[in-house]
Amino acid sequence: MLVEFGHYALVLAFALTLVQSVLPLWGALSGDQRLMAVAPPASVTIFMLVLASFTVLTIAYVTSDFSVLNVLENSHSAKPMLYKFTGVWGNHEGSMLLWVLILVFFGALVGIFGRNLPADLRAATLAVQAWVSAGFLLFLLATSNPFERVLNPPLEGADLNPILQDIGLAIHPPLLYVGYVGFSITFSFAVAALILGRLDAAWARWVRPWTLLAWSFLTLGIAMGSYWAYYELGWGGWWFWDPVENASFMPWLAGTALLHSAIVMEKREALKVWTVLLAIFTFSLSLLGTFLVRSGVLTSVHAFATDPARGVFILALLCIFIGGSLSLYAWRAPMLKQGGLFAPISREGGLVLNNLFLTAATAAVFVGTLYPLVLDAITGEKISVGAPFFNLTFGPLMIPLLIAVPFGPVLSWKRGDLLAATQRLYAALGLALLMTLFTFWLWGMEKVLAPLGVGLAVWVMAGAIAEIVTRVKFFEIGAKRGFARLLGLPGSAWGTTIAHFGIGVTVLGIVTASAFQEERITTMRPGDTVNLVGYEVTFDGAAPRQGPNYTEEVGHFTIRKAGAYVTELDPSKRVYTARQMPTTEAGIHTIGFSQLYLSLGESRGDGAVDVRVYFKPLITLIWIGSVIMALGAAFSMADRRLRIGAPKPAAKRKVAPAAVPAE
Amino acid sequence: MVFWILIAVMTGVAALSVLVPLSRTKRFPAASAANADEEVYRDQLAAIDSELERGLIDPGAAEAARTEVARRLLAAHDKNSGTPEARSEGARLKLAQALALLALPVMALGIYFTLGAPDVPDQPLTTRLNAPAEEQSVDILVARVERHLADNPEDGQGWSVIAPVYLTLGQPQASARAYANAIRILGPRPDWLTDMGEAMTMANQGLVSADARQAFEQAVEMEPDAVKPRFFLAIALGQEGKKDSAIKAWEALLEGADETEAWVQAARQQLAELNGGSPLVAALGGPSTEDIAAAQDMDAADRQQMISGMVSGLAERLEADGGSPEEWNRLIRAYMVLGEKQKAETALADAQAAYADKPEQLSLIKDAASQLGLTGS
Amino acid sequence: MTRKQRRLTLIGSAGAVLAVALGLILFALNDQIVFFQSPTDITQSTVPTGQRIRLGGLVEEGSVIRSDNAEVSFRVTDMANAVAVTYKGILPDLFREGQGVVTEGVIGSDGVFVADSVLAKHDENYVPKEVAEALKAQGHWQGGEGEAQ
Repeated sequence: MLVEFGHYALVLAFALTLVQSVLPLWGALSGDQRLMAVAPPASVTIFMLVLASFTVLTIAYVTSDFSVLNVLENSHSAKPMLYKFTGVWGNHEGSMLLWVLILVFFGALVGIFGRNLPADLRAATLAVQAWVSAGFLLFLLATSNPFERVLNPPLEGADLNPILQDIGLAIHPPLLYVGYVGFSITFSFAVAALILGRLDAAWARWVRPWTLLAWSFLTLGIAMGSYWAYYELGWGGWWFWDPVENASFMPWLAGTALLHSAIVMEKREALKVWTVLLAIFTFSLSLLGTFLVRSGVLTSVHAFATDPARGVFILALLCIFIGGSLSLYAWRAPMLKQGGLFAPISREGGLVLNNLFLTAATAAVFVGTLYPLVLDAITGEKISVGAPFFNLTFGPLMIPLLIAVPFGPVLSWKRGDLLAATQRLYAALGLALLMTLFTFWLWGMEKVLAPLGVGLAVWVMAGAIAEIVTRVKFFEIGAKRGFARLLGLPGSAWGTTIAHFGIGVTVLGIVTASAFQEERITTMRPGDTVNLVGYEVTFDGAAPRQGPNYTEEVGHFTIRKAGAYVTELDPSKRVYTARQMPTTEAGIHTIGFSQLYLSLGESRGDGAVDVRVYFKPLITLIWIGSVIMALGAAFSMADRRLRIGAPKPAAKRKVAPAAVPAE
Repeated sequence: MVFWILIAVMTGVAALSVLVPLSRTKRFPAASAANADEEVYRDQLAAIDSELERGLIDPGAAEAARTEVARRLLAAHDKNSGTPEARSEGARLKLAQALALLALPVMALGIYFTLGAPDVPDQPLTTRLNAPAEEQSVDILVARVERHLADNPEDGQGWSVIAPVYLTLGQPQASARAYANAIRILGPRPDWLTDMGEAMTMANQGLVSADARQAFEQAVEMEPDAVKPRFFLAIALGQEGKKDSAIKAWEALLEGADETEAWVQAARQQLAELNGGSPLVAALGGPSTEDIAAAQDMDAADRQQMISGMVSGLAERLEADGGSPEEWNRLIRAYMVLGEKQKAETALADAQAAYADKPEQLSLIKDAASQLGLTGS
Repeated sequence: MTRKQRRLTLIGSAGAVLAVALGLILFALNDQIVFFQSPTDITQSTVPTGQRIRLGGLVEEGSVIRSDNAEVSFRVTDMANAVAVTYKGILPDLFREGQGVVTEGVIGSDGVFVADSVLAKHDENYVPKEVAEALKAQGHWQGGEGEAQ
């Protein structure tokens, strides 16, 4: 009964989204208050219904109700309780239900917290959100129903793919989905604005926090996925330019651009048309990612669905939403009134530059991801586009952007003074040069690019700090008042500083971990010792061990430095018995921000085993930086003030370069 | 019933979430888009003042920002003064209400009845396992015991309970394993030994293996008068071709037996076959009593011919129409008994070809063949 | 600056960035993509030595030879032809004889393929799509879709 209750809730939610797709929009277009008033309560009801449905499916998993086909195919009564929960989204149907749940959750959030939105904008936004929800609910019910029943179920299920039985992968999809799907709200806002033919201050004010929310979750989701690949795949790599990774990275890049252009729009009412286009693009890239991952076009651990009907269905949804919104854009955009003017050298100009590089980078990733697929479809020729392509295209586009990052916040709105801005960054520049020279001194001339990379990272980090220090005139008004003003700074100023600092941290991690990594691949026998950057790694031997649902061969290693004991590491190779699937568990020891990374290869019979030993300097900074970026977004989101950007009076420019209107 | 009430309530709530806002008579203050815009700008003006107060911007910048906002405010105000007042039309409202009242439930129920299975109850595993025994299928009962035994593999009583169940379910191998566990834990008992031997024999296509014979012998040792183990031992002797010992064993068994018992008939038949027939007849199975009676009257050559006829009849039938793995096994065994190894191998190959895509049956055939010392291709 | 000049500056810089991006993409597509080849392609046509390619097929049964220092050599076959491969490093978990594999590297002057990466992906049923199609082309493919479940 409960299962069928959940099934009906899902169907009812679908029916209600259809009503929601029509009535509020009709009201908004005809100015009917009562029809518009339908949207908020209906959005909450839709969310409650899908939530009920999701809860029921979770209960079915927890109680091992194998009369539900989805549970039968993806669960096992002996599975640890945690993975019974996470197994709900460890398969195609369940993960799509989670997708839809987050989609309608965002709708409900707008319904509840959108009181100070213009009624017609809110109604139209919720209607557009309902279109997207209806499309995906139909997809769920028609091709991937999680509530399909089995009449005489067997007593045991098929268990969850062991690779997914990992806490990292349990958290990664929800984070990523909140990010992916969060951009649906900006999309709905954009389409609603186009339909109403009006982009106003309220629109801009609303889009930015939603974008920030989605962006910060997407950042965390991508970082989490990267760390998982790093410790679970045993190759020591943290980013592979795999199409599935790119599928989540493209919305992130476009979302970052959107975040910045939305600032211009909010404060200066400029770049309206562009911001709307970016909002559409960002969610389109999310949809594209879903299509690539879900349709079986790409083969990977993420590709649960191999049913071609599903691929065709998502492709159709993709065409309707992207094609429809872009047509609407082409029709309506020329009617939007252009906003404030600005000089090329100005805060706005800097943000435009940011957008240019980010969209160009998105395009590069897009081409690299889709070109092989298109070429295969057209000519049947098989090619692979790997890291070299992306390093050559993405890398050069990021360098000028990173150089420009510290300049953005110190330029003033409308017309800026590059010289004055540079003066405020002298300290940061000096520090960056110093670090570059220091790295050269440490490593010599053998790696020319790496010290420059370190310098660039320090430049971004120091630049972020320099901006906030000079803004409060720390050195002019004294430490005490300086601190007081520092605390009084608005959240969004802190957000910018923190997020930009986070980028510098991540870049530093990437540069050092890639350039100064040390690696040994060798065959070791018990008693053998390998030396790596001063660490002596001794192989003590390997022994089999029995886990709850796997068996593993565990290698035991002792790490010493200059003869002194440091730690012991136990990397292993596991075989999950139910599916006879092997996995690798790396042994990782963190030293400061650096890591010593051991992974096991084949056993060679006589107790010898292939071992890969890495020293990865400062690698954890890659993920710490991502977390800092997400934190910055949270600070910025917490700032609920209204923002306005105004130019500095021209007469004052020479006198006081410090004062910039607060954000 | 509860289910349908819940469904009705849920549908009602969904419809109400549309109907209530529709029917609210209270007019909203026409907080139209335009006014919201002006509000944003007014708030921005206030924010500039407060920032100036806190010293976050200098007066010049504040003045500039204020001018900018004021300009926008004026523009918004001009634009908005022409906005028509919101209104509600009766017809539109009626249509919207109809959509919520009729279309919504009809659509939801319509889709649900196509997709859903309202009659299928929930079947959480614990409920299924804990349901009263009389309501449960044998499969579930077996699964319960299996679960219990997986947790308590040293529960000999449990093994002894489940062993005969396996046999009736047609899983003689599992049954034999269960008996072996029971005996290992609780020590040998003649009835368990006998039943284990029987299960082994059944698992072995009716051939008494060495292990099974050992079990029967141990049972007889413990209980010399027991009929069943002796019965199987006699069959074993016959299968081994020790005709005289087998006849002796049957005669000993039948001596003083109660004629009404079921096994007596079978024993007599076996004895008759040993006296007159060949082991082949036993292997082939199913010759009618007339056939046997007739065979007894024939001389050796004729008998051989009749037997060959039966075998080739079976072979032809299997060739033409196919047959069960048991029938194929019978044919293969018959060829082996006739000493025609070549033909047995051909038959085995045919059988394997016939069941190439059914691994379960294929393994039955292969097992039986390997018992006879044949290796499949 | 006049309004027109400002606009021109903006459009000019946008154009410059996009042109650079486009140039990079085209250059990289020319230079950095890697073609997928089956052993038959390699033996029949002449892939220039030194050009990076992806070689895919099945690991030939009994061909895997491990030597010390984590070096391994094996042959990749599509049932019609086979190519010898050497690799130094840790093989992926699912690398097995008779299983599908994709390797990336260059062909040395002695005709031996020197791989710097070996992929055998996440699922025991997984045969890389390219490999499945190459095998189909050779008429040696049985079984369902070679995709992860």
